[in-house]
Amino acid sequence: MFVLSFLARRLAQGAVIIFLVSLLIFTLLRVMSGNPVRQMVGGMAPDSLVEEIATTMGLRDPIIVQFGRYAAGVVQGDLGRSFVRPANGAATGGANFDDLTRGARAGVGDLILDALPMTLQLAALALAIALAFSALLGIAAGLRPGGVFDRLAFAVSSLFISIPNFWLGIVLALLLSVKLGWLPAIGYGGFSYTVLPALVLAVELSPVLIRTLSSAVAAQMGEAYVAAAQVRGLSRPRIVAAHALRNASVPLLNLLGVQFSSLLGGVIIVEYIFDYPGLGLLTINAVLQRDFPLIQGIAIVTSAIFVLINILVDLAATTIDPRLEY
Amino acid sequence: MDPVLSVRDLSVALTLPGRERTILDAIGFDVAPREIVGVVGASGAGKTVLSRAVVNWIAAPLAIRSGHVSFRGTDLLGLPPRAMRRLRRDIAYVGADPMGALDPTLPVGRQIVEKLRAVMPDVSRREAQARVIALLDAVRIPSATARFHDYPSQFSGGMMQRALIVDAMVSNPALLVADNVTQPLDVTVAAQVIRLMRELTERFETAILFVSSSLPVAREAASRTLVIDQGRLVEEQPTEALIAAPRHAYTRELVAQIPVIWGERPSLPAVPRAAGARPTDAIISLRDVSQTYRVKRRGSFAATSDLRAVRNVTFDIVKGDSFAVVGESGCGKSTLMRLLSRLERPSAGQVLCEGRDIARLSGAELLGFRRKLQLVLQDPFNSLPPRTGIGAMLEAPLRIHGWRDPRKIRERVRAVMDDVGLPVALYDELPLGLSAGQRQRINVARAMVLEPEILLMDETLSALDQTEQFKLLALFEKLQRAHGLTYIYISHDLAMVRKACNRIAVMYLGEVVELADNERLFFDPGHPYTRALLSAMPALEARRFRPEDCLMEGEPPSPIDLPQGCAFRSRCPQAFEACLHHPPFLTVRGARDLAACHRVPGAGAALLAGAA
Amino acid sequence: MDAVETFPKRSQSKWMPVRRKRARQSKNLEPCSIAERADPAPALAPPRVDVTASRSIGRRILDRAARSGGFRIGALLLAGLVLAAALYPELSGIDPAMRDIRARLLPPLFLGDKWSWAHPLGTDQIGRDMLVRCLVGLRYSLLIGVASVAVTVVIGCALGTVAGYFGGRTDTVIMRITDAQLSIPMIILAIAVLGADRPTIPAIILVLGLSNWPVYARVMRSVVMAERGREYVRAAQVSGATHPRILLTLLVPLLVPPLLFTSVLDVARMMIFESTLGFLGLGVQPPTPTFGSIIADGRKYLLNAWWIATMPGVFLCLTLTSINLIGAAFERARNSIHGGA
Repeated sequence: MFVLSFLARRLAQGAVIIFLVSLLIFTLLRVMSGNPVRQMVGGMAPDSLVEEIATTMGLRDPIIVQFGRYAAGVVQGDLGRSFVRPANGAATGGANFDDLTRGARAGVGDLILDALPMTLQLAALALAIALAFSALLGIAAGLRPGGVFDRLAFAVSSLFISIPNFWLGIVLALLLSVKLGWLPAIGYGGFSYTVLPALVLAVELSPVLIRTLSSAVAAQMGEAYVAAAQVRGLSRPRIVAAHALRNASVPLLNLLGVQFSSLLGGVIIVEYIFDYPGLGLLTINAVLQRDFPLIQGIAIVTSAIFVLINILVDLAATTIDPRLEY
Repeated sequence: MDPVLSVRDLSVALTLPGRERTILDAIGFDVAPREIVGVVGASGAGKTVLSRAVVNWIAAPLAIRSGHVSFRGTDLLGLPPRAMRRLRRDIAYVGADPMGALDPTLPVGRQIVEKLRAVMPDVSRREAQARVIALLDAVRIPSATARFHDYPSQFSGGMMQRALIVDAMVSNPALLVADNVTQPLDVTVAAQVIRLMRELTERFETAILFVSSSLPVAREAASRTLVIDQGRLVEEQPTEALIAAPRHAYTRELVAQIPVIWGERPSLPAVPRAAGARPTDAIISLRDVSQTYRVKRRGSFAATSDLRAVRNVTFDIVKGDSFAVVGESGCGKSTLMRLLSRLERPSAGQVLCEGRDIARLSGAELLGFRRKLQLVLQDPFNSLPPRTGIGAMLEAPLRIHGWRDPRKIRERVRAVMDDVGLPVALYDELPLGLSAGQRQRINVARAMVLEPEILLMDETLSALDQTEQFKLLALFEKLQRAHGLTYIYISHDLAMVRKACNRIAVMYLGEVVELADNERLFFDPGHPYTRALLSAMPALEARRFRPEDCLMEGEPPSPIDLPQGCAFRSRCPQAFEACLHHPPFLTVRGARDLAACHRVPGAGAALLAGAA
Repeated sequence: MDAVETFPKRSQSKWMPVRRKRARQSKNLEPCSIAERADPAPALAPPRVDVTASRSIGRRILDRAARSGGFRIGALLLAGLVLAAALYPELSGIDPAMRDIRARLLPPLFLGDKWSWAHPLGTDQIGRDMLVRCLVGLRYSLLIGVASVAVTVVIGCALGTVAGYFGGRTDTVIMRITDAQLSIPMIILAIAVLGADRPTIPAIILVLGLSNWPVYARVMRSVVMAERGREYVRAAQVSGATHPRILLTLLVPLLVPPLLFTSVLDVARMMIFESTLGFLGLGVQPPTPTFGSIIADGRKYLLNAWWIATMPGVFLCLTLTSINLIGAAFERARNSIHGGA
């Protein structure tokens, strides 16, 4: 019962958030954009044709009407159609204005669905690497503040947090792929292509994880119940494993929820550098080509994912610590 | 019989880089099996360190400098951790911080089982669980089986302390170290916990080292008492002898400091009231005041519950009174304080100041009210802004109230500082390093600077020791005489109230259950809750009311789900049929006193008339 | 040392002194923190956390941080870099956009066979001096980093303070907006906005500044909420002080400075963000060199002139490390002074 009402409440809140996000993005893009139709049909097309297409596409209606139409579509699962990409999958279109018809352009939903699994694979691998690495270092550091591992963790996280991901990507590609030939770098042709980008992402993610974990573990070890447990007769391994780590995982979980958007930021850049065909590459190309429906669709999908992830995170956190209530 | 615990020449020091401070100095004593030994001393005397040393829990920056702690002949201090852990089965410890003692994220029962199985690995999980539930039941935790699965945050402080006593006793230890176990608890709950500990140790044949900062509390529990002063053991006697004939000067002081309640009548503040004062002199009147907070109901979509913090409170405070509102935590007295000082507005009813509803005031009128009523706060360390000079702190209210001339402001502030006994040299100092008493004087000065007519004292004296309390009470009396002030004390400390106030309202679960003059309230209380409070008061004199007669087990119900009928009936030894169904109303007893109990003569008549 | 006993039974903020007690007993304190904590006659010292210090919290954080090695290294490095960025481009008289076909693709000092003292970090494909380009890039990077953090702090603190102090409906509305803002991956918004038009420096500052404020709003809200319940705030209220007065004279001066120390780390994050935008071509536009755009250009020559892409990276990395060292030292000092809060 608790879980159901929790989910109901959070989903309702999430819907509000997604609505706000899409309204914001929609308005921003409409206000900022130049003339997307001109971009679509190419510079050669006569103005009258541009105006005609714009009118048939509804781009001359008031923004609120456009948003209403768009939102109605989104609710039915239709995220609209790309301005630029043809349905046959080629990345660029619009060289010839006369063969462009609405029906031939790719659906935003399909484009996102194609790219999403690739990105999920990348994100999952990166997260796994980062978590494994940070857990080892962070817990060791947290158990002995001021000790060797604490200092190591501090140095590593200070260094990692100072490396721009795109630069690291370039350097790692140069070293591991071009010079040493250990890992493939550009494009996608199998799982091994995910490893290098995932490594770069993991380096970007781990500093915050290490710091959060080490300070959370250190804080828990300083809690009264830990000292009391020792006097009550529990062994130290048991105190650490069954109690301190359990409690320290709550801030970590919360961090993961909040870090989602920085993970996504990293994904965008890394995919761009490695030409990895996921959501990030799709985003960059959409921006560079001013493919507004696609940008909008991506923003809505990602904020929906964000909302879902945070619901899951909170659910997990409340399961661990029943005092939390969302 | 061989002692179960024997401490010899124990010295502990606080080690800091470059210097060292002795905390315990050559302490030695024995505890025989099944004996309860009390340890008393002021805060900072080293009692907590002693109780930790006894269970071998001394960690940096503390260090053992010399001595032995022998448990049945084994010196604990030299034991390797593994061997020590095996001994934890026989040496249990309960501390002063019940809410922090268990992992907040796991059910209480499960953690007690975990401990039992850690010290007694041969007990099966099922067996352990049965044992824990039986013990939880034995310490009178209601519906123990269900409580077994509850989390620490779902327990009240008193309940948690019982659970921790179970945790300590579950392995049937030979020695229990109880370090200030009643300190965080309300007096009525603390009395129950002490009673419980005595019962349990008889049943389990456990010896107890009962550490407490209060001599009356230790007396309730211990047959023999050690007195510690500044790390030294200064006296050791059977408890009654210690109280009757203290030998050491420090012990004599300790005994003398315990407030006297029923003995010679303490001098009451001079109350400048004309004979036959009429209630129309009321400077503050509460008319049916209620405050209800909306709290989110856990695990629901958007539902809220009403937390009724203050319920239908009506009373008058007459000009020149020293009025007290007393009660235990959660009784609504802090909410009442916020209502009186208009930090909040009541959800129903009115707070009248000289006949005007203060909730309706705004702008200049509100400032006028603020000038009239000032608040002196509880915590001397929390209530002063951390980085403001004392003079500036006292100037601020004047500036807010429109004073502009810096010379006049300074003059006024100096006058007030002089009034409350603060050296004027402190004008440009920060409040750092000042004692609690001095800080409290700043608080008083800050309130006095606007020349108010009413001072609202929110637990103002509870952070101070007896000596400081005396000094400040004398100051209050002087100020009252000089300025014709009215005091409203909000307090949990009946002994202080006995000394300082002439009229007292007792609150329980948001209601005023008794309203009476000082003498009447302490000698002839009309409400069973007042009797329970008086019976649980730590005191050394012969009690007029014994906890055994006045208080049943149990804790106050939640202000969210108030029971039907009388709110106190679940803990009242005199409850009868009518209390189940009908809430009692304040009923007149004698000339000016009121109590809300069906047992008060006259209350029943009204009820019967209503029923008939 | 009965810390448990030294605080009043009914102290309003019960858990604060308890925390401190735990900290005092924790085994693993750095020696200096023990000295600090136990200094004013330990047994008598009231168990207050931060407010009884003789100097302001900000000052103490600064002092504590300045004692750490990381801080000194970072400060030294940063000072050197800032000086170089401020002076070298003018002193050397080299125009970062000046082409020199004869000096194309020169390697950095001592590497390869064509290096020259005139171009310590070599030159790029059209003969522009890498060192000057990097230093000019550093100027913009720092400018944008600091300015956008300032925007963030101002917006975040203002909204967080208001939400935390007034609570209720105001709080709910502000926190909903914060949630919504947090849920848009800001990089998408940033590149969408900057991609739609030619990015100018104020636009970049504004976009970066707007991307991070929810974090500050949340932190500020929670500390203001905690502080609002403190008694001295109540005392001010009862003496008739208005809300703006309490906020501006009591709370903001007390609570914002500690937050500023943490914001140092955000300067580094914003600089990374800025260079990322530059890398995507959405940052400060050419001919002005930025780290991101230099690296993006240098990528094409990675195999025969690796220094074009890597040198700015090393430069950026050094700057960020220095800032992060300073920021982390501040954060640690702040945490140890606040008792881990």
